[in-house]
Amino acid sequence: MAAAKQRIEQQPAWVLHTYPWRETSLIVEIFAREHGRVALVAKGARRPHSQLRGVLLAFQPLWMDWSGGGEVKTLVRAEWQGGQPLLIGRALICGYYLNELLVRLTAREDPHPRLFDAYAEAVRALGRGEAESPILRRFELALLQELGYEAGLANEGDSGEPVRPEGRYLYIIERGPVRLEALEEEGAALDPAALGEQPLLSGQTLLDMAAGDFSRAETLGQSKQLLRMLINHTLGGQPLQSRRVLKELQEL
Amino acid sequence: MSPSSLDELIEALRCLPGVGPKSAQRMAYHLLQRDQRGAARLGNALLHALEVLRHCARCNSFTEDEVCPRCANPRRDAALLCVVEMPADLAMIEQTQSYNGLYYVLMGRLSPLDGVGPRELRLDKLIARATEEGVREVILATNFTNEGEATAHTVASLLGARGVKVSRLSRGVPVGGELEHTDIGTIGQALIERRAV
Repeated sequence: MAAAKQRIEQQPAWVLHTYPWRETSLIVEIFAREHGRVALVAKGARRPHSQLRGVLLAFQPLWMDWSGGGEVKTLVRAEWQGGQPLLIGRALICGYYLNELLVRLTAREDPHPRLFDAYAEAVRALGRGEAESPILRRFELALLQELGYEAGLANEGDSGEPVRPEGRYLYIIERGPVRLEALEEEGAALDPAALGEQPLLSGQTLLDMAAGDFSRAETLGQSKQLLRMLINHTLGGQPLQSRRVLKELQEL
Repeated sequence: MSPSSLDELIEALRCLPGVGPKSAQRMAYHLLQRDQRGAARLGNALLHALEVLRHCARCNSFTEDEVCPRCANPRRDAALLCVVEMPADLAMIEQTQSYNGLYYVLMGRLSPLDGVGPRELRLDKLIARATEEGVREVILATNFTNEGEATAHTVASLLGARGVKVSRLSRGVPVGGELEHTDIGTIGQALIERRAV
């Protein structure tokens, strides 16, 4: 059923991706605070002197107005909020990674205000030139939590007991963190081949992640592997283009 | 029912960017009914171009020879290499008459979300060209979009690591521009990238 025709005004939003449409227009995939991911057509945005050209850029905070009730709405107005430098260098490639995650993992018109705020903070931090890894890890975690991976990091999966900082854990999907000793008692095969890409995690890493603290090098390293595993699982095996591009760049 | 050769023509015209079924049909009827000479010319020109055009071994732009006349011109400064996204960008820089070096045309830009990476762009070919003997400076003149910027950064780090001097086209308020009438994004970025005088 088509939604009623509506007009949205002054909505904080970010452009995730654009692609050409017809002779002079653009389809703009945006992430809006109260509306989630929305597809808009920006009429005439590819004309040589279009005012929209310099505005509809990814990684820039915008105010947007749009109208329409179909799957693709019509962009009415886009205004730059200001205060955000253009992303450059590695930060820019990281930005593409964030955008691809949102495009691939959020559904159209599914509002995620908390995730929106996490995204805005991540892009601003990239713009400030902060270290990239903690920014990415924080966003990945926020994304997974928003998608329902609320699975406690600070509590053991089976018993619900608090994670012990000195303990050694494996994170089992749909079960949560499980202590190695408990797995051994179960008689689970613990040879590395059977574990696949399962990273070994220290309890402290899990507690740090739950607290959003990525200052320890070990936390940063182990959380990267864990979050990658969970994101790959959510993606259902479809590889991320931005990750492939980054990998190819490192190989050149 | 329309004859299949007509359907085939309409379907073929749809490969043009921005041409949907309606426009394709209009073009087909126009070519067949109103301008058969034009249609024949278009068909021949297309086939001929497909047959003789290839990528210049030096600048990657279209040419009929192994090396295009511009790259082969001894009066151009072979120490400068300007990297642009498309032949249209090259034409603009030529119009300035402010540049006498050589070019490299990427024929695209890096766009991770569209699946265009270094492999699709054949960046290895650019690296080989830019690290040739005699290239003193590579000027990155990709667009000032995020994709153009990502491309510039990538090329800069790849070439920088190989000891090539790399510069980037500068950006800011347009010539003859008044701040009052310039878009705020441009002014904002011009402030960030201001230079000492």
